[in-house]
Amino acid sequence: MISAFKQIRFGGLLVLWLIALVIFAVFAPDFFTPANFNSVLQFSTLLALVTLGQTLVVLSGGGGIDLSVGGIVSLSGLVIAALMKTGVPAFIAAPAGVLCGGVLGSINGFIITRLRLLPLIVTLGTYYAYNGLALALTGGAPISGLPVSFGLLGQNSILAIPLHTLVLVVPVFLVMQFTLNQTPLGRWIYAVGSNEKAARLVGLPVDMIRVGVYTLSGVLAALAGLMADSWLLSARPNIGDNLELLSLTATLLGGTSIFGGSGGLGGSLAAVLFFTSLQVGLQMLNVNSIWQLGLVGIFLIGSVLLDRMIRTAETK
Amino acid sequence: MSWKRWLFGRRELTLALACVAVAAVFQFLSPYFLTPDNLITILRNSVELLLVSLGITFVLATAGIDIAVGGALGICAIFVGWSVQGGWPFVLVVLIGPLVGTALGLVSAFLIVQGKIPPIIATLGLFGVYRAAIFLLLGGSWISGLPDALGPAVNTTIAGIPLTAIYILFFYFIGWIVIRWVPLGIAIRATGGNERAARLSGVSIGRTKFFVYGFTGLLVGFAAFLYVARYRNVETSTGGLIALDAIVASVLGGTSVLGGKANLLGAMFGVLLVRLLQNGFVLIGVPSLWEQVITGALLIAVLILDALTERSHAQSRPRQRGNAQRGLATQ
Repeated sequence: MISAFKQIRFGGLLVLWLIALVIFAVFAPDFFTPANFNSVLQFSTLLALVTLGQTLVVLSGGGGIDLSVGGIVSLSGLVIAALMKTGVPAFIAAPAGVLCGGVLGSINGFIITRLRLLPLIVTLGTYYAYNGLALALTGGAPISGLPVSFGLLGQNSILAIPLHTLVLVVPVFLVMQFTLNQTPLGRWIYAVGSNEKAARLVGLPVDMIRVGVYTLSGVLAALAGLMADSWLLSARPNIGDNLELLSLTATLLGGTSIFGGSGGLGGSLAAVLFFTSLQVGLQMLNVNSIWQLGLVGIFLIGSVLLDRMIRTAETK
Repeated sequence: MSWKRWLFGRRELTLALACVAVAAVFQFLSPYFLTPDNLITILRNSVELLLVSLGITFVLATAGIDIAVGGALGICAIFVGWSVQGGWPFVLVVLIGPLVGTALGLVSAFLIVQGKIPPIIATLGLFGVYRAAIFLLLGGSWISGLPDALGPAVNTTIAGIPLTAIYILFFYFIGWIVIRWVPLGIAIRATGGNERAARLSGVSIGRTKFFVYGFTGLLVGFAAFLYVARYRNVETSTGGLIALDAIVASVLGGTSVLGGKANLLGAMFGVLLVRLLQNGFVLIGVPSLWEQVITGALLIAVLILDALTERSHAQSRPRQRGNAQRGLATQ
């Protein structure tokens, strides 16, 4: 019975995706070209990386939520670009930016665990602080003119699959998926998420796990910032805008419970693919991007409602 | 110890001192700060935030949160703008904002109560929807150059007291009556303190939440009316950062995000401090782009300070430690 409902959830996502595809097939036949397939994946990289981090944060429970991811994407992208503009070679600038993302994420984690504060209010504060910093430090202007060689990862493709999808998103997903499902650490994350008190009683380092999860979310956001730099050959202070809303929606749409402890990465990735094809499709239909924001809001609320309904049906 | 508790134990007093200290620093850095003109500007800029913060204080007291208020304010402002353009009777122009606002607040409450969606998710989703709706309703262009029909509603003074101050005092008085003297106020605090216990002792959680979000919507709607009356235009960014400002002001004012506590006077001082800081930083030449950073950092700083003082209180009273630990475990 339970598995049947789980299938309905994934099936539902599939049906939504197919409906979207049919609509695009009718109204925008160009949607099904290799070039467009490529651009769907291009777009999805940022969101996929951020969503994988967000999923772990939500999974680890305790009201886990990271609203600051968009700001981290923008900020670390800017750090990398700024370093490179001052002549720092890419192989130093890129790790420095990723480190910066890790630090920003761990700030969230430490404040939340050390002071036992609600993640939503802490990351709301850092959401404004990080986004604001990205805008204020640059005065709102992008840092552009990165060397063309830096576009190696972000601009090349193999068989219409962007290089960064192959060398970054897929490996990161596989490693995380393996860790989550096959190693004790993964079990711990589920344990902490589903019953914090029990996890503490059996001696799991709950706080350390949570700090780790927020740090990882920061690192993945920074990788997204790096990819954005490489793709656009410039760092925009608002590149991460709305990524918190999108990643949270993808996480919940993918079947991870907002209360933590159940769900997984596969669903999140499926939701990301759904979102990006929607985004690209709507763009081809010349639908204003502000509509997408409204649509995402509806999806966010809808997916939690759906989750509720499935849960009550399961218990009956 | 006792004088310290007397001074820092009262949130309003601490905040008032903080306001004075901040004002002194800014006066030192910019001679323009403490001029009557600038002080009036600060107070005027506080009006909408005072109203929204009152609502947010109620919401936080039920352990909820509403980050859609900015979008809701924008939508209400659009309706007020249209009603002015359409030459509606004055009464309707005044009422349309609060009506739309209340309706939007009830939508949040419906999702939270009936849909059992966590408030952060419901209002984050609505935030996206409202932002899109604002663009849709405005059609990409601003409502601007409205006639000054609403001017008297904000510029009149009665016996030297500005009418806007009377609105603020009126709403805060109502808020105070509700939270202090009416069973509903107890229900609000009980819901935030321990929702299950409140439910078991017969509090109607649903009704309480509907009231809180509806009331916030009403205040947001009235704030939108005042906004349009003052600026006579509505742009796509109307309402922008007001959710953050209001949360910061309420938390500064001593209202806990964990619920169960509401400090209205504290919220008033919180608003004053937020606006003092924002105004002061602009005066000493910090670009206004930094406003977001400053406000966000302020929120984090207050949260950390609060958590640390609470911890040191718990440690200085060993007998209550057991309770504190049990309290943590049940969270």
